[in-house]
Amino acid sequence: MLRGMPTVAPALPPGPERPARGLPTLCLMLLALAGAGCARRGGCTGDYCGTVVFVTTPEPDILLPPSSQLVVSRDIADQIFLKLADLGMSGNTVGDTDFQPQLAERWEWANPLTLVFHLDPRARWQDGRPVTSADVAFTFDIYTDSVINSSARSALRRISAVTTRDSLTVVFRFRTRYPEMFYDAVYHMRVLPSHLMGTVPREQWRSAAFGRAPVGDGPYRFVRWKAGESLELAADSTFFLGRPHIRRLIWRFTPDLQVAVTQIVAGDADAIEVLGTPDNARRARAAPRLVTYPYPGATYGFLGFNLRASGDTTEPHPLFGDRALRRALAMAVDRVALLRSVFGDLAKVPPGPMPPQWWIWDSEIRDLPFDTVQAARQLTRLGWQASGPGGDGIREKDGRQLAFRILVPTTSAIRRQYARLLQQQFRRIGADVQLDEVEFSVFNERMQAGRFDAVLNSVNADPTPSSSISQEWTQAGIGLSNFVRYANPAFDRLAEQASDALQRDAAKRLWRRAFEILNDDAPAIFLFALDNVAAVDRRVQGVVIRPDSHWALVRLWRIPADQLTERDRAER
Amino acid sequence: MNAWKWLALAGALGAALLVAGAVRRRARDSAAGRRFLRHPASTPGVFVLAFFVTLAVAAPLVAPYDPDWMPGIVELQNRPPSRLHPLGTDIYSRDVWSRLVYGARISLGIGALAMLVAVTLGAAVGAVAGYFRRWVDAALMRFVDVGLALPRIFVLLMVVALWEHVPLAVLVLLIGFTSWFGTSRLVRAEVLSLREREFVAAARALGARPGRVVFRHVLPNAAAPIIVSAALGIGNVMLLEAGLSFLGLGVPSPAPSWGSMIFDGTQKMAVAPWTSVFPGLAIAVVVMALNGIADGLRDALDPRREAA
Amino acid sequence: MTSWLVRRFAASIAIVFAVVTLTFVLIHLAHGTPFLPTGDRPLSPEVIARLRAQFGLDRPLPVQYVKYVAALLRGQLGESFALRRPVSDALADAIPHTVTLAGAGLFVDFLVGLALGVYQAARSRRFADVALGNVALFFNSMPTFWLGLVLLLVFAQRLHWFPVGGVGDPVLCPTVSSARCLADRLWHLALPALTLGIVGAAGTARFQRAAMLEVVGQDYVRTARAKGLAERRVVLVHALRNALLPVISLLGLALPFLLTGAVLVEWVFAWPGMGRLTVNAILQRDYPVVTATALAASVMVVLGNLAADTLYAVADPRIRIRSDA
Repeated sequence: MLRGMPTVAPALPPGPERPARGLPTLCLMLLALAGAGCARRGGCTGDYCGTVVFVTTPEPDILLPPSSQLVVSRDIADQIFLKLADLGMSGNTVGDTDFQPQLAERWEWANPLTLVFHLDPRARWQDGRPVTSADVAFTFDIYTDSVINSSARSALRRISAVTTRDSLTVVFRFRTRYPEMFYDAVYHMRVLPSHLMGTVPREQWRSAAFGRAPVGDGPYRFVRWKAGESLELAADSTFFLGRPHIRRLIWRFTPDLQVAVTQIVAGDADAIEVLGTPDNARRARAAPRLVTYPYPGATYGFLGFNLRASGDTTEPHPLFGDRALRRALAMAVDRVALLRSVFGDLAKVPPGPMPPQWWIWDSEIRDLPFDTVQAARQLTRLGWQASGPGGDGIREKDGRQLAFRILVPTTSAIRRQYARLLQQQFRRIGADVQLDEVEFSVFNERMQAGRFDAVLNSVNADPTPSSSISQEWTQAGIGLSNFVRYANPAFDRLAEQASDALQRDAAKRLWRRAFEILNDDAPAIFLFALDNVAAVDRRVQGVVIRPDSHWALVRLWRIPADQLTERDRAER
Repeated sequence: MNAWKWLALAGALGAALLVAGAVRRRARDSAAGRRFLRHPASTPGVFVLAFFVTLAVAAPLVAPYDPDWMPGIVELQNRPPSRLHPLGTDIYSRDVWSRLVYGARISLGIGALAMLVAVTLGAAVGAVAGYFRRWVDAALMRFVDVGLALPRIFVLLMVVALWEHVPLAVLVLLIGFTSWFGTSRLVRAEVLSLREREFVAAARALGARPGRVVFRHVLPNAAAPIIVSAALGIGNVMLLEAGLSFLGLGVPSPAPSWGSMIFDGTQKMAVAPWTSVFPGLAIAVVVMALNGIADGLRDALDPRREAA
Repeated sequence: MTSWLVRRFAASIAIVFAVVTLTFVLIHLAHGTPFLPTGDRPLSPEVIARLRAQFGLDRPLPVQYVKYVAALLRGQLGESFALRRPVSDALADAIPHTVTLAGAGLFVDFLVGLALGVYQAARSRRFADVALGNVALFFNSMPTFWLGLVLLLVFAQRLHWFPVGGVGDPVLCPTVSSARCLADRLWHLALPALTLGIVGAAGTARFQRAAMLEVVGQDYVRTARAKGLAERRVVLVHALRNALLPVISLLGLALPFLLTGAVLVEWVFAWPGMGRLTVNAILQRDYPVVTATALAASVMVVLGNLAADTLYAVADPRIRIRSDA
């Protein structure tokens, strides 16, 4: 066998461009004996063929929207379940003008606090039952249930009730008036089949069997899910908003991003939503079979300073309780160099806690400069003296070294890379940094409990700043996602005013003032904000990527009949 | 990489040659030594091991750069091997050769220390079990069976999680504490047969306490399997450390263990394979040398098997 | 013989039980929370408290342990926290993949190992023996996962002879429905099986070589030679048949090795087997999955040992006498 290897190999075509070509040869060889035909003739032809294989690194946990928060689960579930209406390409979350009808064919405001939806009478569950207003009321009940604990629960807190008027009319009542009422009513909830899920006890929703074989009302039906391998959906040819052109959607799970990119470059997959690193982007751009699609990302990452003592939230942190020290450390970091080292051109340095996707992105926002001279001077002024010649170069104050630990999850290659680069940069100005590289479960436990000095965190933000910012950076967010326990009343006030502003210009000005206050306090060093690049096979036409939900418009993609490959036409 | 560093490297090679030569000369004087030399892998093994130990000891002389130095995190990352960087640079623009040299300290150090812990523990447990027999033996050996019934990497992953952050010293101890099961079985078997010999009976008859009998009379005579399993043990620990590092839970950054170097490089395997290929090769070569030495030692110390 | 088997069997059950207990205690004492926020919204303390109550984690550890063992004895493995499904389903998905890979790895291991060992023994102490012995030793000394990475880089990423991971093509062959799909599976299996097999083969070859040399020196082989049989026939028929017996018992002992080796190889080749399941479960503190995989792994190891001992006892009467002494 050892010697047999090289003799088998040269029998394959020399230097094939894609591994798939090796397959027919190999299988011809193996099947010469079996006597079965290798390539099947015929198969699907015409406009509604085509198979698109998405490659992702994580695998979904469950395809039941309120029970899962994973992006990949959402990507797949959104092909199966519909919302009442969906966000448009503009990404405008204020008012209702930029929203597209989905389950609701139209809507009207009965009064400023009452919103009435009229469901599309053609909408059907995939088992043939019609979608009714009762399903919508059921869905609201599920999403606001404390046992289910969907991530949208807090976003729905200002909706007081959802009632049915007749089988196709459903009424939303709000507690207060605010700019993003419509967005909250439609964006978070995927309508669920009450006739199938109504009897399932709420504490069993976490792992309901339905979530591994869902029945929805969307453009695609669930076919199969092979754990650790792949998941397949098939187009619903009777879908009421138009039959999808792509016949099969397959997600294949490849835990390693680099391998995933190899697969798409080789033609073993057709689409990937994010390339992640500069060399992956280079490989994808160089591949003739691929087209790359840049779109603004939803993720930003930062080094957060714990303002409270590690493990004791009642005391200020011995180092980071000092605003001037935080500012000095922030000025010591060359964020542009770090960014280029890790991401190349696939990210930007954010001017505050924001992803490029937000319309309030404003590179004019005032931020601390990169200035090691000033940083060093400031540290000295604060009493952190550089040790004399022969010392280890670590600054000291009253016999205490300028030393702290950074909490990093081992699961994120990007953040590990950042942590090591930061370790080096801080060392240069005389701060000794150790890394706590821990499993994600420990990372979360410690972040939640405040048991850390500094943390390398990243946030996958909502399409709109109002909810995200208050969770991450205001007093109200302490106990939620404000792990560094930053609290500044001036910032909180401005953020609230900005969220309530009805005019985008006014809101943008308020946000800018808020972020300048935040940047001056330096509770964190904002390191990266992703500019995503998706790659999709060239034969797929009509690819449009909506930044807030990259695969939301897959039902409009198509593969022209003359470009179908054997893989597109294959019958299962 | 200047001329002095090449000279230092040549010096290390020379030192290793000298050691190997000296070992050969010493070995020729005894029957056991000649049996050791007759094994084809033993002399090259001594040479390779001596070379890497020299590198580890003389790391500051041999390594051209500080192993943690990042000269250009944007322009100089993932550079292929060149005159300046004989083994290329890694994702942080650090010199792979310098890290490999300093990594010899950590990897060989972990291997030797953890093996020491494991062999001491294994020999002690094996001797006690074999000497006292009955329920002591039964209890200890059932415990060993339990220890051997789970892949060690699983056990280590769970044990490492008992600490919030694992310092290098603790890691070494943990690896040692999970690596002694095999040794204890070997030693027990040896002790079981030794305890029936006349000299042990004589020691007992003279009124020596059991502890003295075990550690003064029995164990020294069971040295052969202990020494062989120690040589194999270093290699096994190095492989284990590499596996643990590969899952991201090994030696803390920025210390350059060979395992963590492989792990740092895996993300860039497609564009910069040298960052993980070279440390992997280093592990393979050193472990091979240790295996060769262990084989030679087995031949030397256990003439019964030499017939084969 | 029968009482020996009964005793061994009872001891095996005790070992498995102890492994499960130890694993249970270790993983529950480990830092980290099993209930992770999967998206950007963290779980609030109340939610975590409710989940802990739902899965009984708020009870004292001894109580949890008793409950777990009671459920285990009824054949219930519980429900995975992270995978959101019954543990038995997850195991049922993973075990066939691991068995396939371990089986293929063992096949390569013994095929290559035996051939190499016999050849080396026939060429004992000549150049081919020494050279092959060193090559085998080199492969035996590599970190298995690193060999996997290198093979993947060379044969999959650079030369495109093999796929870069996974167990099959999800487009053309989502299920094994035709001979073509079987070929596709084998094609995906080749690299991981070679990785596992080659590293193991080196050890098998050394063992086989030694066994052959021992047999070759014995009387009946000399008799065969004296009768004037061809050397090839002497080696392959008379010597090999007798040298094979001890090697067969290696099969049982190799099973645990393949499971261990398979942990990281599965990781490298994105192979959805027990190794990946276990490592993920440990890292995510998915207690029910960790204990269940420990149970499965220890059962396999114990069975392997039992098989090896039994084969040994059956094959060689001398061993049996000694083990009774």
